[in-house]
Amino acid sequence: MTTEKEVIEKIKVLKQIKPEKKWVFLTKEKILGKEPIFFPFLKPAFAGLLFILILLGLSFTSLPGEPFYLIKKLVERGQTVFVPEEERPKLELELANKRLEELSKIAEKNDVKKLAPAINEAKESVANATKNLVKSKKVDKEIVQKTLELEKKKQEVEKVLGTKITEEGTEDPTKLVAKYLIEDFENRTLTDEQKQILEKAKGYFENGDFAKVLELLLTIGQ
Amino acid sequence: MDKLKKEFSKIYDKYVEKIFRFVFLKVNSKEVAEDLTSETFLRTWEVFRQGNPKIENVSAFLYQTARNLITDYYREKGKTQIISPEARPITDPRQNLEKQAILNSEMERIRKALSELDEDYQNAIIWYYLDELPIQEVANLLDRTVPATRVLISRAIKALREKLEKV
Repeated sequence: MTTEKEVIEKIKVLKQIKPEKKWVFLTKEKILGKEPIFFPFLKPAFAGLLFILILLGLSFTSLPGEPFYLIKKLVERGQTVFVPEEERPKLELELANKRLEELSKIAEKNDVKKLAPAINEAKESVANATKNLVKSKKVDKEIVQKTLELEKKKQEVEKVLGTKITEEGTEDPTKLVAKYLIEDFENRTLTDEQKQILEKAKGYFENGDFAKVLELLLTIGQ
Repeated sequence: MDKLKKEFSKIYDKYVEKIFRFVFLKVNSKEVAEDLTSETFLRTWEVFRQGNPKIENVSAFLYQTARNLITDYYREKGKTQIISPEARPITDPRQNLEKQAILNSEMERIRKALSELDEDYQNAIIWYYLDELPIQEVANLLDRTVPATRVLISRAIKALREKLEKV
């Protein structure tokens, strides 16, 4: 004899009765119309994000005097806000290197219209790097390398354009780093060989060959 | 409108299987069950999108619309709700043939027994045990109090057990 509990269990077999999936889909479509295909990136919020990403992408390769350059500068300035004070000179040197690269590209293309804003950007950026070096008065291997890179690019650009990139009244960053580096080594205990190198470097400094000072003193540090 | 469509789309997904099964158990034909279920949702959508009258309880509205359509169907066709012994249940085709045959036979037996019960008994069993609606909702659908519904469900099971012993 079947118990009521068994009857209840048997009833559940009827749950197997189901409509065909195709019919379920087509009926829904008949009543509500076709559902639009969901492209998340076309939704307003995603479209905004996509727009920003495109702008950033375009600005990344833009040069002074171009429409998206301001965005590039804003992004870079934004980055400096989150950098600790002691790392600031390195970042500013990096940015100055970028500005000189841009100026070099413009000079290569002989793009006269963009030349003036690019020179101004480069001058401003080099001045910023100098200002930060003065502020921190500390130099390390990375700063020396970045300064050497900057000096090389600066000389190339100055040669092509026939104009000085270092603004009048501001110190040359290479000279500044060379000065700090000499001062630093003077306060250290050096071997005879290192003392000789330091003396040689001082000679270069007197002659105004600051890049050579950096190259020489970099060998002591290694 | 898009918001309404989205809302109704969710309602459709939630209830389409239940309404189809409810109708199928009453009409015992896949094609008729499809037509009446489709019509149930179409009519509900019309009222839902106009918002007049506002549908307070969607599931109650759907089941009531389906019931009215089933009544109309039998009235128009001059048919009575008799389950044909040849009727083939709709089961999952992925199951193996032997298992499916056993299942079909058992389903036939239960469905036949169920169809021989009073309409209120049938509905009480379908809503409470198959669709697993809360007792309060079953009571609302049957227009009874909760205690009266419990008694009805208990009697319905007893009646079904007796029928199963005969078929």
